[in-house]
This record gives sequence, C-alpha cells and structure tokens, in this order.
Amino acid sequence: MKLWSKFVLLFSVMLILGACGNGEESGDSIKEGKTKIEYWHVNAETQGGQTVAELVEEFNAQSDTVEVVAKYNPDLYKGLMQNLQAEVAAGSTPAIVQIGWAFLDYFSNNFSYVTPQEVINAHFEEDKTFLEDNFLPNIMDLAKNSEGSQVGIPYSLSTPVLYINRDLLSEAGLPTTGPTTWEQLKEYAKVILDKTGKYGFYMQEPADNWATQALLESNGAKIMTDGKASFASEKGIKAYSLLRDMVVEDKSALHIGWDQGIQSFIDGNVAMLYTTIAQRSNIQNNAQFDVAAIKSPTWEGKEVKLPAGGAMLTITAQEEQQQKAAWEFMRFLYSVESVAKWTKGTGYVPAREGVADAEKGLKPFLAENEMMKAAIDQMSGVVPWTSFPGDAGLQAEQLLLDVRDQILSGSVTVEEGLTSTENSINELLK
Amino acid sequence: MQVVTSRSKKRFVHKQSILAYSLLLPSVAIIAMFMFWPFLYTIYLSFFDWNMISLTKNFVGLQNYIDVLKDPITYKVLLNTALYILILLVFNFTISYIFAFVLNFFVGKMDGFYKSAFFLPSFISLVVGSILFTWLLNPVSGPVAIVMGWIGLSMPIWSKSEGWIIVVITLITSWKIFGYNFILLYASINGISREIIEAARLDNVPLWKIFFHIIGPMSSATGIYVFIITIVQGLQFSFTPIKIIAQGGPNYASSNAIYHAYHEAFVLYRTGHSAALSILTMAIFVVLLIVEFKYVERGIYYENK
Amino acid sequence: MKISKKVTIPWHIIFIFIIFLLIFPIIFAIGTSFKTLQDAYNNPLSIFPTSPTLENYKVFFESLPAFKVTLNTFIIASVVTIFKVITSFLAAYAFVYFIFKGKNVLYFILISTIFLPFTVTMIPNYLVISKMGLGNSIWGVILPQLADAMGIFLLTQALRSISISLIEVARLDNMSHWHIMKDIVLPLVKPAVTSTGIWFFITSWNEYVWPVLILKSTENFTLPLALQMYISSEGGTNFTVAMAVSVITMILPLALYLIFQKYIIGTFISSGIK
Repeated sequence: MKLWSKFVLLFSVMLILGACGNGEESGDSIKEGKTKIEYWHVNAETQGGQTVAELVEEFNAQSDTVEVVAKYNPDLYKGLMQNLQAEVAAGSTPAIVQIGWAFLDYFSNNFSYVTPQEVINAHFEEDKTFLEDNFLPNIMDLAKNSEGSQVGIPYSLSTPVLYINRDLLSEAGLPTTGPTTWEQLKEYAKVILDKTGKYGFYMQEPADNWATQALLESNGAKIMTDGKASFASEKGIKAYSLLRDMVVEDKSALHIGWDQGIQSFIDGNVAMLYTTIAQRSNIQNNAQFDVAAIKSPTWEGKEVKLPAGGAMLTITAQEEQQQKAAWEFMRFLYSVESVAKWTKGTGYVPAREGVADAEKGLKPFLAENEMMKAAIDQMSGVVPWTSFPGDAGLQAEQLLLDVRDQILSGSVTVEEGLTSTENSINELLK
Repeated sequence: MQVVTSRSKKRFVHKQSILAYSLLLPSVAIIAMFMFWPFLYTIYLSFFDWNMISLTKNFVGLQNYIDVLKDPITYKVLLNTALYILILLVFNFTISYIFAFVLNFFVGKMDGFYKSAFFLPSFISLVVGSILFTWLLNPVSGPVAIVMGWIGLSMPIWSKSEGWIIVVITLITSWKIFGYNFILLYASINGISREIIEAARLDNVPLWKIFFHIIGPMSSATGIYVFIITIVQGLQFSFTPIKIIAQGGPNYASSNAIYHAYHEAFVLYRTGHSAALSILTMAIFVVLLIVEFKYVERGIYYENK
Repeated sequence: MKISKKVTIPWHIIFIFIIFLLIFPIIFAIGTSFKTLQDAYNNPLSIFPTSPTLENYKVFFESLPAFKVTLNTFIIASVVTIFKVITSFLAAYAFVYFIFKGKNVLYFILISTIFLPFTVTMIPNYLVISKMGLGNSIWGVILPQLADAMGIFLLTQALRSISISLIEVARLDNMSHWHIMKDIVLPLVKPAVTSTGIWFFITSWNEYVWPVLILKSTENFTLPLALQMYISSEGGTNFTVAMAVSVITMILPLALYLIFQKYIIGTFISSGIK
C-alpha cells in the first residue's frame, strides 16, 4: 500500500537520523564499579541548567568511585516535590535533591533524609569541620526545620532586589538612584505613571509568598509567631495596604502573572521591578535601557528582613554506599570553584564563605557585575523563608496565595482578607 | 435513501463469542491494567486520609466526600467546569458545525485552502500554545495589546480577572482542537447526498432549516462524537494552559474539575480529597453519558442500517 | 449548486479573518525562533527578525541530544498510534459484527473510561510502571498511553455506518473474518482509520504531563519535555529558544500531514460508502 510505504520510508529516515545522533554518546559507557547516584534539580537552561551539566560532567570525570546522573524537574521546587512524591510512592529515591525553602517542613515531616553531618561523621573524618568552617551559622539555620533539625545545606541562595529602569526614572524627573524606602517607592510609582503613562512598579507574583514576606516582615510584621500565623497584625496590614493601594487605588502598579510582568519590565513598560536576583542575567542581557539592580527597599526607619529564596541540598539516599557517594558529590559542589561557577551561571548568592573575595572565586566577576552587588550586600538582612509546619502546611501557604488575588483584585479589603486568612490558617494548623 | 430514526433491531448474528472476545482482548487487557485498576485504587483511596507517601493511610469513611461537598471551592470549580464546557462547545461544536456546513455548500473556490488552514494549529502542542499566547496576549506589552492601543482600546489584565481567564484559556484550547472537529464534521456533511440539498434549495427552504432539519440529523453520528470529544478532550486539553498560565488562579477562577483534582493531589498532596473529587466528577460525567445513550443515540442516523 | 455572490463574499471574509487569527501565532512563532531574545523583547510587533540568527536552534542542538530527543518522540508516537489503531479496530469490529454476552455492558464500561480524568490514573500507573522497572524508559511512557477507548468509540461509529448486508453476503460466501476485515471493512473505513491515527499521533507527540513524570535523563527526553528546559519562572523564560524547539516540534507532524493530506482530508470525504 502506498500509504504504508510512505510511512515506512519516513520511519527509516528517522532511524538513520537517530543513529547519527546516537553515535557520540555510546562512547561514555559507565565504568564498572562506580556508584551511580541521582541528583534532582530544578535548573532549567535559563536558570543554570548548563552549569549543572558542566559541574556534573566535571565531577564524573575526576571521580573514580561515583557517577552522578542529573535529573531536571520542570515547574520549580513544586514540580520537583511532585516528582519526588511519586518516586517515593513507587519505592525508590534519588540520592540528592534540591528542596525549596517553602517545602522545608513538608519535606522533613514526610520524607526520610539523612543530615549531611551524620554522613560526614560516619565516613569522612577529614571533612568533620567542613560545614562549620565554611558556612555562617545564620545561613546554616535557613535549612533547619521548625524542630531545629538540620535538614540539608543551603545551596541556591537568592534575595529579592529592585530592578530599576533609569531612563524612565529620569524621564519622570526622579533621581536615577531609585527609591530606598517603600514609602518612596509608592511616590515614585505615582510620579512615573503621571509623567510617562507607564506603570511604576511590578512585584513578582509567582505561586509562592516569598516577596510578600519580604514586604511584610521588613515592616516588622511576622508571618508566623510560635507556630501560629500572625501576619494580620497592624504592621502586616499596613505593609500589604501599600501594595494594594498602588494596584487598586493609584493603578501605578501592575497586577499580572510573573512571566508577563518580567516581559513588561524588559520592554520598558514598567519602571521598577521587585523580583529575585536569579532574574539578573535575563534582565541584563535583554533590556535595552539603562538598567540597574538596587537593594531591596526598607520601611522608613526599619531594617529589612528578606527571606532567603532558592534551595538547599538534602541527602535522601537510603543505602550507606549511596549516602557516601552523595556527600562526595556535595563536597565537590560546595568547593570554592564550583560555587563560583554556580553563582556566575545562575545569579544566586554564594551560600558559603570565602567565595566572594577569593581570586579563584568571584572577585573578578563581582568587580564587573554591579547588579550582583546589591544581592550580596543585603545578605545580612536574610531571614528564613517561613514554611508552615504540619500536614496542612502547604494548604496554609495556598490560602495566603488565594488572599493575594482577592486583595489585589480589590474584592476584599486588606484587613478583612488578612484577618480571615490568618484565622483559617490557624484553624488548619491546630 | 431513507432516514432511519430508530435503530434496526435486526443484526447479523455470529455465534462465535470466543472470536469476539479474543478480538477484544488486547484493548480490554491494556485498559484494565491502566484504567480500571487505577480507577478502583482511586475509589479505595477516596476513603482514606493520605498524602501518597506516609506509611499509614487513615481510614476516614465518607469524610473526604463530605469535605468536598462542603467546600465552597468545589462549587466554584464545578461552575467553572460548566463554563468551560459551554464555551468549548460554542467554538468547537457550534461554530465548527456551521463552518463545515457553509464550506461544503456555499464556498466554491478555495475550500481546499480553508480546510488545510483550519487544520494547521491542531499540530501544535498546548505547551507551545500556552507560552506563545502568554507572550502574544500580554495585556501591557504584547503585540495584540499594542495594536489595540492604536485604536484606543485597552486589554483587560485577563490573567488576573475572573471570567476573562477562562475565556482566554478556552480560546487557546479551541485554537488547537477547532480544526480537527471541523474536518470531522466537514467530512460527515460532505457525505450527505447533494440532491437532497438541491431539492430543498429549489423549494426555497431557508438555509437554517436545511441546516437543522437535513444536515443536522444526517450527520448526527459524527456530530455526537464531536460533541463528546469537545467536552471530554476539551476539558483534559485545557489542563495544560491552566497549569502553565494560571496554576488554577486567580483564586481558583481558572480551575476546572480536572485541574482541581490535580491541584489537590499534586500541589497540596491531599490524595483522598482529590480522589473523592475525581470520583464525583466521574459520576457527573457518567450520568451525562447514560442520558446520551438513552435519548440521543436513539435519534442518531446511521447510514444503511 | 448556484449560490449568489452576496452569500459567498461575506463568508470568504469571515474565513480569511478566522484563518488569520489561527495562523498568525504560528507565523509569529516561526519568526521569533530566528530572533535574538533581545530583539523579541524589544520589537514585539515585527514578525520578522531584524537580524536573523540560527543561534536559538544552535542552543537547542548543543544543550540536548536533539536528534535522540526527536527520535524518542517519534518512536513513542508511532508505537502508540499503530497499537491503538489496530486494537481499536479489532475491538470495534467485534462490537459491531458480533453478538456476545455482556456486549452492551462491556461497551459502556470501556467508553466510560474516556471520561476518567487522567489525574485519577496517574499515581497508580506510576506505581505499576516503576514496579515493572520502566521508570526512565520510553516504554514507561508508551504503555499507559495505549489504554484509550477513544479509538474504539470512533471506529465503532465508523463501522456502524457500513451496510450489514455487505458483511452478511460475505459471510454466506464463507469469507473468513480476516478477509472481511482486510478486504471489505478496512477499505470502507480507511478515512476514519487514518484520521483517528493522525489524531493519536499528534496527541501522543505532544503529550507532556506523563513523560515529565517518567523520564529522567536527557537522552530519553521527548520534545515537549525539552521545551520545558527553556521555561523557568525563576530564571526567566528563554522565549526565542522555546520557539525554536516549538518549530522543531511542529515540523514532523506537519510533514506527515503534507504527505498524508490526501488521506486525511481528501479521501475520507469521497469514500465508497455512498
């Protein structure tokens, strides 16, 4: 039949093409005796995917005992969590996984993991003080769950910064150094709208409450106090009202999805963008105006409190052999050179000490990269990203997201929205 | 040719049940393994409180069902589902039916070109469609918004507005499935004898009457198929843009029954709640299906029965 | 049939307009795949790149085993399509031309599975695939996709439209079922079979929820998964590379379509049923 002959022809063409593509990879067959471990990450090509591949390749080439296979998980830490959930339900686990901070408690309550220090103590006498020597205590604390146990080691660290379009600022007659306080930012946004007709501000709206926490806690509110939600305090409401008023009253801030918000900043329709430092290379490479990243605004007379974004590395390997291999790989990832590479590839702030000012680390890189400076300079203000404890923790996080949409669409007042959400979260957490 | 309105009872009988069963075996076996068993397992799960990984499943009886029925979000989501179905039917059933009719009889030239062009977007994955439309329809920076701006129109911030979000997502979904439905209906209408139509035209029967009294009934076998896949596949297909563009938001405004079951199971890890919701959704669909079997199938026209 | 211009012209206008809406995004995607990302961000209105570049395609071919990824997608879609078309045809044949115990109940149950949201089957299926040792294998992607009653439904509908008497005569001539299927039924429903097959192919080719769950290493990836590599809300979406991958994803089904166009649109209109 003619139809089938065409199909067969096409199929064989594909096979030939495929065979060509296959040629190169048959070379690197896995050496006998190597322990094979899986490393799960969320780094898409635009978020350090290339760097993960390079680091893994470099490690595999120099290690005689361990072979790492990296698995990319789409849809960030939530997507990774889903895959991990399914994998564990099916009875197996990867060796190392990146866990986003918002999942810290959920992960430690539901999955079995081993504290890195335990693995080190058991097998690597020489690394006994590695963590102590190279990490600041407040950074290590980010990876402690609500019971105080060290779940993993901070790896990808990000903080929110304010990206500004200097061209638009000067067009509106504003100082191009940008606002330093939230109060100022609100004024600026209004002026920009009036003078240029462009949106003054966009604050990232992903499916988490990271930026919201920065806004609220910098004003002295606490998302959670003693295991109970407490964001509907006077300070919390005041902070949230600022954002709401910009969106609903002034209409000087944009309320839109994250991808679209970034698109609108890069093409010059929004003058100020509050988002993660991980967006640096995207913005730097594509914006055609005078763009800068400045430190996160403060509230007048108060200190910033910025939740750490990103992820920690945790060891989920169950067998001893795998756990050993996992640490060997992690030790490699936390070396000064690897961390420096990681920062260059992703825009994350180095989690360990001794990278920023080392010649073989980031010193030359930071000298040229003004934008990274903002993120590194504000590291002293970093606090843990609140993750609600218990089985209903994720649901609580979801409620806080739901109320964001209600408040910013103007369908409830900030006070009503936050208060009722706080109540329902506390009901859940009981 | 005559229109047979009731199904012919007489069937050619093959008394070879064994052969029949063996013809069915491959399909039944694979469906049993990857559909029935998971389905039964899900029913089982709907009576437990479980997060998929903890070692203990707590038996909670009907509590999950009670929770689902008491949850106001369930009703919002079901209402959204109905809205999705309605809009999907308008674009992919009604409009494609009319287009198929018109293209068959009233457009002489270029019908080949039209057919191919309508079908083209069907090849594209909805992942691509979702990214593409997020960009194209950016209400501030997208090309569509800019062009609208020239004539003084502004675009609603659809990704954050109730109502609009469903409209845009169904448009994206329809972009993909419209062509396929159209081609099916076109082929079916094309199979109808031209003489009947000619005769009707000569008698000055208005177009809408031809459509409802001749075309509709005579293409109903395909029509009912298109009707069903529009609902079923349409809902499943819309999952991808919902997930990529809106994650069910803002405040569940874009969530439908399928996405919400996913959200409960794979975002909040409330397996039991999700299972109960899925079973209830399934129950609603089955009721619709029974209605279809009982009333609609009877009136369907199969040729040469 | 004579139709006045008054009727046809408005319809032509409507069709052209609708086609513009349907095709524009595709053209925009193709144009964007040859732009630099900076160009795409800053000149949203121009369809054509200011300085065309192949960089986006290069990025895809350099960061992933692109041929292997395309081949995987092709093998998965082909196996799924061939298997589903054959089994659905056999089942439809049994449902239409045989009478056996439990026929209506079985048909009803099978068709009901179409209404099963895929979220219902996801976790149990994942457990089964893992137990079979097929995690991270394209067979793990293929197997659950084979369970689909849609083909049975469509082909049963198609077979029902064939005259029973035709089959009766053939049976009286002692023709075997194999020959009836091959020489009488199949030629008559070839249009339906082809269009079903094409639809299966496209659906499987573009499937992404399930492969995301199963496939782990890049050499086993499929195209929709590869696309995910360039989308990240945190690091920003590389829109132009994503569009390049999209164009590659479109090409093969499109080529198939052009090759089989006659069958898809042409023949299933003028089949011999009349």
